Amino acid sequence: MATSRPLVAVGLSHHTAPVEVRERVSMDPAGVKRVLDRLRDQRILREGMLLSTCNRMELYGVVEDEAGLRSFFNEYRGPTGEHIDRYLYWKRDRDAVYHLFRVACSLDSLVLGEPQILGQVKEAMRLAEEHAAMGQILHPLARRTLSVAKRVRSETDIGKSRVGIGNAGVDLAIQIFGSLSGKRAMLVGVGEMGRQVAQALLSAGLDELLIANRTFERSVALAEETGGTPVPYDKLEDYLARADIVLAATGAKQPIITAEMVRRALRTRRYHTVFLIDLAVPRNIDPGVDDLEEAYLFNIDDLSKVMEQGKRAREEAARSAEKLVSEEADRFVQSLRTVDINDDLARMNAVAETIRVAEVGRSAKLTRGLDEAQLEQLDKLTKSMVKKVLHRQMMAIRMAAKAGDQDRVEALLDPWKEEG
Amino acid sequence: MERLPYILVIAAWAYVTLGHLLPEVLGPRLVSRSRPVAWFAVAVHLFALALGAATSPHPTGLPEALSATALGLGIAYTWLAHRNMAALGMLLAPLTLVLIGTALVVPHRSVLALEETGYSPWLPIHLGLIFSGIAGFAVSSAVGVMFLWVRARLKQKKLAGLARLPSLEVLDRFQFRAMLFGFVFLTLGIGAGGAWAAASLTDPWALDPKIIFTLCIWAWYGMALQVRLVSGRRGRWTALFSIVGFGGLLFSLVGLNFLLSGWHAYGN
Repeated sequence: MATSRPLVAVGLSHHTAPVEVRERVSMDPAGVKRVLDRLRDQRILREGMLLSTCNRMELYGVVEDEAGLRSFFNEYRGPTGEHIDRYLYWKRDRDAVYHLFRVACSLDSLVLGEPQILGQVKEAMRLAEEHAAMGQILHPLARRTLSVAKRVRSETDIGKSRVGIGNAGVDLAIQIFGSLSGKRAMLVGVGEMGRQVAQALLSAGLDELLIANRTFERSVALAEETGGTPVPYDKLEDYLARADIVLAATGAKQPIITAEMVRRALRTRRYHTVFLIDLAVPRNIDPGVDDLEEAYLFNIDDLSKVMEQGKRAREEAARSAEKLVSEEADRFVQSLRTVDINDDLARMNAVAETIRVAEVGRSAKLTRGLDEAQLEQLDKLTKSMVKKVLHRQMMAIRMAAKAGDQDRVEALLDPWKEEG
Repeated sequence: MERLPYILVIAAWAYVTLGHLLPEVLGPRLVSRSRPVAWFAVAVHLFALALGAATSPHPTGLPEALSATALGLGIAYTWLAHRNMAALGMLLAPLTLVLIGTALVVPHRSVLALEETGYSPWLPIHLGLIFSGIAGFAVSSAVGVMFLWVRARLKQKKLAGLARLPSLEVLDRFQFRAMLFGFVFLTLGIGAGGAWAAASLTDPWALDPKIIFTLCIWAWYGMALQVRLVSGRRGRWTALFSIVGFGGLLFSLVGLNFLLSGWHAYGN
C-alpha cells in the first residue's frame, strides 16, 4: 500500500474505554453522516466509514490529513474533561484491514461470535455508501470484509453456540427438533430461570407456551406477559402429552413429573420425542425419565455443561477464525497494492506521453514537410518507443509491488513523481 | 467395464471422502469444492454406465450391479448436500467409494438366466427399479447410523461437535423417507422382475434362493414401515430396522449369488 494514502482504523472499544467514555462518542446515523461530511469537506479523509455501536466507535478511512484527524478526535472529552487520546487505538494499512475483518467476524466482540456486529458493520457500510464516502480502497475492503465474515461463519463454529441458560436450552431444542416452529412447550412453575428459557424458546420461534403453576393467578400473569396459555396445575399429566418441550422450575421438594407419567404421555403422543429441562434444585423431574427411549432429559448441571462446551467451542473456533482472517488480510493488502500501482503506472504513462508530445512538437522544423500519413506514422513510432522504454520500468515496479518491497517501489516511482 | 472413466470416478470420490474424513489434509478451500467434484463424479459415472450398456454383451453382471448402486448413492449424496444434510456425506461418500472400488476388482459374472435367455426390455426396468430401491435403503441406513450416534451423544450429554450435524428429528424424517422410497422402488422392481421372468423364462415361477431372500428383505422393510406407521415407534426403531435391512441387502447383492445356486446366481 503506498504510504501517500494510508488506510487507517482509529477508534475505541470496550477493550480500551469504559462505558462513560463510550457513551460520549457514540452517535446515531445522523451523527455519523455529519462526521463523514465534515471530514471529507475539510479534506481530512478521502474515503471514510464510521462504525458506532454500544461497544465501539471506529473510523476507517483513507487519510489525507492525519494531523487534521488527530485534532478532530481531540475535540472529544472523557467524563472528567480529559482528552480521549488515551483510549484510542490507531491501526494502519494491513493492521487496519485485519482489525476490520476481526470486528466483522465478531472476534473482537464482548461476546465472542455474537451475530449482531456484522449487521452493524453492514449498516456502517451502507451509511458510508449513501454519503459517497466509499472509494477505490473502502469499496473493495467492504466487499472483502463481508465475504471474510461469511467464510468465518461457514467454515468455523464461531456462531454455532450461544451464551446464557436460555440460549443453551434453545440450542438443545434445535439439536433435537431442528426447528421450534410447530412445537409446543409447557413451563411448570414461574421461577426466573424457567421464564428465561421459555422467553428464549419463544424468541427462537416456539409456536405455543403452556404455563402451569400451583397458583393459577401467577400462571395467568406470566401468560399475559409472554403471550402463553395458562393451564390448570392439577391437569399437568394431560398437558404433558401435548408438550414437545417441558420446562420444570418449581420449588417442590420431590419430583412432580415421574417416569411413569412421561411413559404414559409418550404412549398418548404416539412416541413423538419429548425434550425435558429440569431447572429446579431439588429436581422436579424423575431422573429415570431419561431412560425412556423418546425422552431427552437435561438438568441444570447438564445445561451448565452445554454452556461451558459452547464457550470452549467458540474459543476453539476463534483460533481457526483468527488464522483465516490473518490470511485474508494479507491477501487483501496484496490486492490493494496492485490497485495503488495501477494508479502510479497510469501517472507514469501520462508523464511520458506529455514528454513525447512536447518533444515531437519541438521537432517542428524536421516534421514540417511531412504529409498527414507520415505524421501519423511518426506518432505511432514515437509512441511505440516510449512504450518499450517504459515497459521494463513498469515490470520492475510490478515485481517489487508483488514482492511487497515498498521501498523499491517508491524508489522506482520517485523520478516520475518529481516529473508530475 | 471400461476402466478409465471408473478410475476418474474413484479419484473424485476419494477426494470427496478425504474432504469429509480428513478435512485438514485438503484445507477449507479445497474441501469447499467437494460438491462440484461429486457432481463431476456422478456425471462421469452415468457416462461410464451408459458406455458399458452400449458396448458390453452382458451389462448386468456383479460389477454393474455394484456400480449402479454406487451411482444411486452418488446421486443421493449430491441431493442431500443441497438439503443441508452435508454431514451425511461422511458416511455416503466412503460407502460410494468402497462400492465403486469393489465393482472394479470383482470378476465379471453374468446372471445365469441371462446367459440362457438373452436380453429383454424388462431387464433394465427391473434393474433400474431394484438399484434405485437399494440406493434408498443405503441412504436410510447411513442416516440411521448418524441418528443413533447423535441420539447416543444426547443421552450421554456429550454435545461437542453436534451443532454441525442435522437434528434428531430431521435425521429421523430422512431415514423414514429414504426407507419408504427404497421400499416403493424395491416393490416395483420385484414386480418388473416377475414380468421379465414371465416373458423370458420357461418356468417363471421357479423360486431361487435370491428371490426368497429378497422377499424376506422386502417383508423386513414392510414390517419396519408397519411398526412406524401403526404403533408410532420411530427414531431408534426405524434406524435399527434400516441398518439390519441394508446389511441383509448387501449380503444378497454380493455374497448370496456366490454361496447358493439357482437361476439368479452368477455364471462364469
